[in-house]
Amino acid sequence: MDVIKPAPGFEDILPLEYQELVADGPYGRSLGVKDLGTFKELIEDHPLCAGCNLTLSFRLLLASLPKPEDTLIVTTAGCFGVIHPQIALHASIAPFGTQNAFASGLTRAMRIRFPEKQKDVITIGGDGSFADIGMAPTTHSWFRGEKFASFMLDNECYANTGGQASGMTPEGVVLNMAPKGKSFDKIPFVEIAKLAGCAYVATASPTKPRQVESMVRRAILVAREVGPTFVRLACVCATNYKLTPIEAHRKSKELVSQTDEYMTEAAREYLESLEGAA
Amino acid sequence: MPDIGVEIPARTVVTAEHMLFDAPREQRYLIGNEAVAEAVKRANVDFVVVYPITPQSEVSHLCGDLWARGLIRDYYRGEDELHVMVSAMGAATGGVRVFTATSGPGTMRAMEAISCWPGYRLPLVCAFMGRGVGTPANIQPDSVEIAYLLETGMIIFHVENPQDFFDMTIAAYAIAEQPEVHVPVAVFADGFFVTHSREVVELPPESEVLARYDPAVAPVPAMDMETVPVRMARDCLVIKSNFISYNANASWQQEVWAAQHRARKHINRLMGGSVEVLHPDAEILLVASGSAAAQARVAMQEARRQGLDVGFVKIKVIRPFPEREVVEACKKAKHILIPEFNMNGWLAREVKSRVDNNSRIFAGPRVFAGMTMPPELILDEMHKLVGART
Amino acid sequence: MNFEASTDLRERANIRMSGLGGQGLVTAATLLGMAAVSEGRFSTVVPFFGAEKRLAPTESYVRIASERIHECGEVTYPDVIVVFHADVIVEDKCFTMPFYSGFRKGGWLVINSETPVVSDRDLARLEALEAHIVYVPAAQIARDVAGTELASNMAILGALAGATGVATLAGLEAALAQRFGAEKFIASGTTAVLDDVLRRKYSRTKELIDKNMASIRTAFDMTKSPER
Repeated sequence: MDVIKPAPGFEDILPLEYQELVADGPYGRSLGVKDLGTFKELIEDHPLCAGCNLTLSFRLLLASLPKPEDTLIVTTAGCFGVIHPQIALHASIAPFGTQNAFASGLTRAMRIRFPEKQKDVITIGGDGSFADIGMAPTTHSWFRGEKFASFMLDNECYANTGGQASGMTPEGVVLNMAPKGKSFDKIPFVEIAKLAGCAYVATASPTKPRQVESMVRRAILVAREVGPTFVRLACVCATNYKLTPIEAHRKSKELVSQTDEYMTEAAREYLESLEGAA
Repeated sequence: MPDIGVEIPARTVVTAEHMLFDAPREQRYLIGNEAVAEAVKRANVDFVVVYPITPQSEVSHLCGDLWARGLIRDYYRGEDELHVMVSAMGAATGGVRVFTATSGPGTMRAMEAISCWPGYRLPLVCAFMGRGVGTPANIQPDSVEIAYLLETGMIIFHVENPQDFFDMTIAAYAIAEQPEVHVPVAVFADGFFVTHSREVVELPPESEVLARYDPAVAPVPAMDMETVPVRMARDCLVIKSNFISYNANASWQQEVWAAQHRARKHINRLMGGSVEVLHPDAEILLVASGSAAAQARVAMQEARRQGLDVGFVKIKVIRPFPEREVVEACKKAKHILIPEFNMNGWLAREVKSRVDNNSRIFAGPRVFAGMTMPPELILDEMHKLVGART
Repeated sequence: MNFEASTDLRERANIRMSGLGGQGLVTAATLLGMAAVSEGRFSTVVPFFGAEKRLAPTESYVRIASERIHECGEVTYPDVIVVFHADVIVEDKCFTMPFYSGFRKGGWLVINSETPVVSDRDLARLEALEAHIVYVPAAQIARDVAGTELASNMAILGALAGATGVATLAGLEAALAQRFGAEKFIASGTTAVLDDVLRRKYSRTKELIDKNMASIRTAFDMTKSPER
């Protein structure tokens, strides 16, 4: 926390933006989605499309971090890449799809340098960066039991490159590079996460902010002690699916019709020990 | 740290200068792969991540053993070279000292990550153990890999023998981690000819190590949330479409190459310069790097025994290319031969593009795809050249 | 250029060993290098093998000198050629072809075989080269003395040292102790696996060293020239 605060006498020469973050940011304050609108957020003013559910997911995700002052974010290429440089946390962009390999090295570096201090490493990527190009490093980080949380912003297509079908696009959908309709159904990535050894796996919709918050927190907490975790945030792309913001919101809600949360026995016990005490 | 019942010896911290120049040396009979592992042992490396590939696998095994003995702090075999190199990047971004190694096709697979290291300003050290790439498949020695690495922004050393492999790896850490340098170093050894050649290597005591890496000296802060989290990623400047962004990106690239140039004084201090020159006034000059330099050295000795006026330039540092030194060394030669262990002659192009009157240069002999270039072949070319031109 | 073989192989020797994968010629080459180093000379050893495992053509190159050796890679102009398996010359199972190319005049040819295997045509060539040909029944020695054919490479090494004087028994004994007795030795590929098999065959390291040394000594005495 002391890191955030400018040395005495230097407060007023710092950018206003930074002064506001120090005075009113979320560092060390256990704020959550219910507090949105009452504090200076880690991310503000995005340059993405109107009605973008992915951006909403990103905002909710950052508002849900249990310990932002010690959180390190690894992202990769994707629409969220343009939000990335505005995050008021240490964040890095890994080559496309390699976010979980980067985080494997980073997590180990944090354990070497700060054995007594919890640093929460999280990865954020799109459906393509986890399920297509990044399938190998993602699943291998889980096989190895690397302790960090992975968050997939599943907008069901490659939006950043102009609306191509991805492995997470449903069967039959016509998008670029699938002119006759996508030929196979969504990759069962949530099931793959369970098989590959994730201790906590959940799907959330940004239309339910409190659910997103609960799942993000649980994923990060379980990753600290138990093992790798994975959360899929269903946020269909308004632009490339040619939906109005309202329609896109409705669709994202429909995609997660019921609570989809899985955890190992060890994860359950750990969460109960934490949440019971709270 | 695994409990395997091995007592970890207490180690003394020494400077790179002490380790390279002053420490007593013990003779060991080692292959190149072992020599570089001995350097990793003494470099106080925090983290090693590797993927096996011939002829690099032995150092990967040995680093695992070092980890099991508690002599490096973390280690794993990654899923493939690209993700190994990204993991190495993640760890180095987090502020620890990293070692990795690969070879030929592994280098090609990892190229996307490798091309990102310099821009991340990571001081990691990677041993490249050169072998053939592409098709036809070939596990044998070839230095063509360096041609692919030339413009990555990495500092590149080309070792002549296992002794160089040890010394230059130690120097690599000391140079890479200078605050005004802070870019990765590729220590390149020709496969088999160096990686599997067993010879006497002189090593400083195992009980002496370099000081641990201090990320506070880095020109770009470590990713650890221990410094101010401004709203700007440490490595991602040109995401916005505006002049300031592009300008920042352009100057960032220039800065990587400027950092290379700032390494020169440390290369001079720790490696005795970027080149080794013997008989600089000679009429015929052999200019070479890596194991081709070893062959050229022997060819020079034999040629001089036969009465030919031959000199020798070993280029130890390929990036930053020692332009001034090479131009100076080539000033008086009438004939310059550049023997290489690759088909395309990248070193000849590097030299030709810098020296005056490059019609003096014979870009060869060149041997590749695992074939051997006996010193006799270089000698033969020298005789032909002198015979034809005088 | 001097294409005469070195007259004093202890001062300078370029040795090419040719055999088949799995015969232990990389190990033999390493031991020879270690022996030379233990006697205070310089030596480099370069193995050359492909991606194949057993029975593929394999070569190892040993250079020995009284001064530092810079040259690397294959030995193109050998003073000594060692044939670990008759198939190398009978079936042309060899990396270097034509097999005797680069063989220096007055050199040594050591062949692991109980019976002569060099063809008449090659014999004429070898005679012109004034080569000294030595046969060693290595498998038989290894079976009789060490109780396993896995020690054939030791017998070949013993014969090489005995015939050419390139290493002493004391040097080879020191090398064996270092190779099998000391701390972990770094062997490449399947050699490490074969090492473990060999260790299992002998209950104690000392027995392993002793049996190997006995194979070396038997072959050494068999091939030692009377003037040495």
